[in-house]
Amino acid sequence: MSETMMIFGGWVAAGLTIFLFSFLYKDNPFFKIAEHLFLGAGMGWVFQTVLFKTWIPKVWMPLTQAPYDFSVLIPALLGLSLVTQFFPKISWVSRYGFTFIMGYGSGLVIPLTISTDFLNQIGGTLTPFMVTSFAGNWLQLLNGSIIAVGFICVLFYFFFSVEHKGAVKKASTVGIYFLMLYFGAAFGNTVMGRFSLLYGRFDDLYKYSGGKYFYATHVILAVLVIYFIVDHFRTKKPAIEEEAA
Amino acid sequence: MILIKKYIPLALCFLFGVLTLGSYYVPTAASENYMEAMNQWENIVAGFAFLLGLFGLFYSHYNKITRKVDGWGYSLFVYIGFFMMVIPAILSEGKIMEGTTLTSIGWGYRFIYNALASTMFSVLAFYIVSTAYRAFRIKSAQAAVLFVAALIVILGKVPLGQMLWDTTLGWTGTQVSGIVQWLMDVPVVAGRRGIMMGLAIGGIVTGLKIIFGIERQYMGRD
Repeated sequence: MSETMMIFGGWVAAGLTIFLFSFLYKDNPFFKIAEHLFLGAGMGWVFQTVLFKTWIPKVWMPLTQAPYDFSVLIPALLGLSLVTQFFPKISWVSRYGFTFIMGYGSGLVIPLTISTDFLNQIGGTLTPFMVTSFAGNWLQLLNGSIIAVGFICVLFYFFFSVEHKGAVKKASTVGIYFLMLYFGAAFGNTVMGRFSLLYGRFDDLYKYSGGKYFYATHVILAVLVIYFIVDHFRTKKPAIEEEAA
Repeated sequence: MILIKKYIPLALCFLFGVLTLGSYYVPTAASENYMEAMNQWENIVAGFAFLLGLFGLFYSHYNKITRKVDGWGYSLFVYIGFFMMVIPAILSEGKIMEGTTLTSIGWGYRFIYNALASTMFSVLAFYIVSTAYRAFRIKSAQAAVLFVAALIVILGKVPLGQMLWDTTLGWTGTQVSGIVQWLMDVPVVAGRRGIMMGLAIGGIVTGLKIIFGIERQYMGRD
């Protein structure tokens, strides 16, 4: 890739980044263009991934190159049957593709869920108590007890087969506190994840603001600011005229 | 006709479901071959399922353009964005790098798709903060717990948080990173496990209902 293309790439990336950030001020055509480009580019990216990772190696090549494997026609036809959804008269054909996905998916998910989300979680709750002596393990036992109590209380909160009153209500209230701790931590992690992306974008904008990229960030930002100023006065004018009228 | 339209698809669902379920618990050479083949089949079907979304999107924006609805011009950029990724990908045969240099699709990924995707998600940071301002008005003890947990996790991940902690609570001899680690390893695990257990039970029951044809909404109306 030539140096010119890299500089041009810097301008494109800086422009698209600033266009999307411009929404923080207000909705505008530049944001809408970038938003629609993102939609198309996202689809394009997935399309090329499916094309080069699935359709060509797993369907086209087995059908056209030795050793031939014509059994791939069955899933290909099942997959193509899904597209009949767009033709109401024959849309029932898509059921063949959907039933395969649902049947196979369910058969796969059930044992995996039992193993990882069910038995492993119970095992993980019991493991801290598998010690031979109290000495030296008291912190592990204390943490294990907190997890076990919290886990059981959360289950009580989700257990609706008995009325939540008395001891059950107390347990479910404790469960709510553990859930709140989980939600708070999950929220904190999400915020930090988004902010790390934000730092990344600012870092890129800083990079593209250098002389090597002919001050792409500054120029694009200035153009956008001029647009907003012009747009402000352009859209304000009719309101004044209306007032005068 | 009802046999072809309804009963055979349901029978196929049952067959694939039971065979896949059985293959997990009866590990023989035949079941391993079956799982390998089905994994391949599932990849291919999922690849074609993507076309559903693609055609749906294209159809919707094609309608906007032909009917000239408000903002129809923006719909053109959906097609432009799509071909901006697909044409270079075909030219470079899906390879992002050629040796140490970027290919045309690598360029598109780095300067178009990655720039757009990461900016789009980073914009949410601002909205999360403004939402948090409204949501975190502490009106109860439970809301206070949620707020404190979020605050500790956020503070524990930035140097400024560590500095603030050291200045105000340094005398306790604890590190904020240690508190975050304990929070994530102990009480958060308890809350998450309860939710995972509920999801697991729900998932297993729904899976069984699908296999036995009790849940069939995905088939649409007759």
